[in-house]
Amino acid sequence: MTAKVNVVHKEYAVKKHLYLLMIVPALVVYTLFAAYPFISSLSLSFFDWGGVGPKKFIGLQNYQMILHGILSQEFYRAVVHNAIYFIGTWALTIIPGLFFAFLLNSGLKGTNIFKIIFFFPNVLPIIVIGFLFSLLLNPQWGPINAFLRGIGLEALVRPWLGDVKFAFPTIIVISSWKMLGFYILVFLAAMLSVGKDQIEAARLDGASEMHIGWSIVLPHIFPTVVTLTILKFIGAFNVFDIVYAMEGTQAGPAGATDVLGTLFYRLAFGGLGSTAMGMGLGAAVVSLIFVIVFPLSILYVFILDRRMGGIE
Amino acid sequence: MKKLFAMLLLAVVVISFSFAQEKVTVWGWRPQDVPLWQKVERILQSRGVKVSIDYQPFLSSEYFSKLYATLQGGSGPDIMYTGRLPKFPAFRSEIEQKYQASYPLIEGNFLLPLDGKVDFSNFPDSTMNLIRQNGTTWGVPFANQIVGIFYNTEIFEKYNLKEPSTWDELLALCDKLLKNKVTPFYVSGKDAWTLAMQNAIVSVSYPGEDWIAKLLNGETRFTDPQYVEMLTALNDLKKYYQKDFSANSLAELDMAFPMGQAAMVFDGIFGSANWLQSNPDFKFGFFPAPPKVKGVNPKVYVYMDGSLAIYAKSKHQAAALEVLKFTATPEFGKLFSEETGEMTAVKGVTMPADKPVLVECYKAAMSIASKSIYWTGGPFDMGKPTVYTILSPNMQAMYLGMLSPADFAAKIQDGVGIWYPPFKK
Repeated sequence: MTAKVNVVHKEYAVKKHLYLLMIVPALVVYTLFAAYPFISSLSLSFFDWGGVGPKKFIGLQNYQMILHGILSQEFYRAVVHNAIYFIGTWALTIIPGLFFAFLLNSGLKGTNIFKIIFFFPNVLPIIVIGFLFSLLLNPQWGPINAFLRGIGLEALVRPWLGDVKFAFPTIIVISSWKMLGFYILVFLAAMLSVGKDQIEAARLDGASEMHIGWSIVLPHIFPTVVTLTILKFIGAFNVFDIVYAMEGTQAGPAGATDVLGTLFYRLAFGGLGSTAMGMGLGAAVVSLIFVIVFPLSILYVFILDRRMGGIE
Repeated sequence: MKKLFAMLLLAVVVISFSFAQEKVTVWGWRPQDVPLWQKVERILQSRGVKVSIDYQPFLSSEYFSKLYATLQGGSGPDIMYTGRLPKFPAFRSEIEQKYQASYPLIEGNFLLPLDGKVDFSNFPDSTMNLIRQNGTTWGVPFANQIVGIFYNTEIFEKYNLKEPSTWDELLALCDKLLKNKVTPFYVSGKDAWTLAMQNAIVSVSYPGEDWIAKLLNGETRFTDPQYVEMLTALNDLKKYYQKDFSANSLAELDMAFPMGQAAMVFDGIFGSANWLQSNPDFKFGFFPAPPKVKGVNPKVYVYMDGSLAIYAKSKHQAAALEVLKFTATPEFGKLFSEETGEMTAVKGVTMPADKPVLVECYKAAMSIASKSIYWTGGPFDMGKPTVYTILSPNMQAMYLGMLSPADFAAKIQDGVGIWYPPFKK
């Protein structure tokens, strides 16, 4: 009898904890591709290592070099650039994204064609975009300057990617152009979830489309705006590809487009124009990016939790 | 019948084993070497060496990170292109003993020592010093590079211009070109490393080899007025560059120069292959950066590009050694220069007659190469930050008016002064 009870208990315990087995595959993948590289990188930030061969423990020297030493100017400049990138791309994707989503949601003719046009840049590889725009922006024979000259705006002609004041804003505009389609689609999906009866009722009460958008649609999709803003912040502090594609690892001119991603790459791997200074230094930059981004990630999870809790 | 069949099968197996080639993988950062390695394979096979060569080039900016990651993972190519060991000048050997050049591939025991295995008698000591450490040789040098001023000979002939022998003559030449609405220099300002190269090209003539020797020895500093004067001269030269040069890349230079859009460029002989690809009929010449005053001999900046080394854990070491032995011969040196249009590191090789500029560059490299250099290949490659790392973005900053020549010189001195032993006395 006791043996039978034990078997029943065992079966019950297995069934009760079966869900744990279900998450093991995801946990393994997460450990291998997220947790382990992060812990490994954090550990490496305390070493001097050329990428191959023996490592030398140096404590906090890498952090000292970055935060107070010879690399501090480059580091803080990169942090400022990442912040500017976030603000610039937010303004050029969230606000126009909302506007165009409203238009596409209004039932006007031809919206399907515009959906394709808006989303098309999003499917192009970033390297292709970087290469294409480097040609378009060529100061001597590029079509953009040629067009400006052609319409009598010679005063606006400049070496876009070689001008300290304009290189980074140019990259922000191009990056925003690439991403805009994605934001339009997400906002459009959020707008489509707004109850049609609410909108009909408002129309019957004589509300204008502007009023409906401002008072009904926008509050409804506001959590989506917040979520996308947080994700954009995280993405802005991880940006690398568009700057690399357009200005290389040097992120010129004279560091005017340098972001934490390009600083990390130069320190860890070097490249044309600089000698690598060590994987440990690169790992320290990555750890500092995590410190900046982590609080926002926690906030994102908190907001997501609340929304899930709200649905329930 | 069964016996006959078995014997036939055995014969087929034995014959196929005897014809089997041993595959040697070679990793490098030079895509222009693909035809070269194909020829090397054919030559070795024609001499009965049972080897096939699989050459894989990678982007130069990513090569070392790929190589290091692979080696760290426990595998690697049989033969790899390696960089050089930066060296102090021979007269500062006591510093070298105190301050060892760090070279991760050696410290990590990834390379096979080659002494006694390869005949290095065809290389000058000055070249071999860049791949020897503690008396051990780690690689076979494959190329020397020369950097200087290349010019469009048709433009020079049209305006009756001669190679300048002083800096003032260079400026006069540029003025004449401007008067005739010809852009004197095409500069790839967007690729900052080419501006660092430009700095180095001029430095060996102005302020010159002797000044650099004093710098390396710690007897002077980058903030010395002679060096600041050179930076000022370079900064003043930008009025002769194409408009908006800060946004032009090396790829654009490689098209614009052979198409006649400018008379001169600061570049290396390694650029010539690209120019001739853009314009096979392009005629160009070479001269070293001129010194400030007449009577001072101009110098050229020459550095060893890299060497070929064998992976210590290669499973095809014997075959790889056969390949490497061949690359240390004058025959390979001649083949290298013919195929790539660049200078071999092997001494005494006759440059191909159908490449007159290469012949001229080789002659200059053998006769007027600066003994003292501070950019790539020099002692300032040994610490952190390197002069290369400081020069690139700050040359851009100077050209864009963000940094004065004096402040630029101070930045280099402050950066290198953190670690360079002769500056810390």
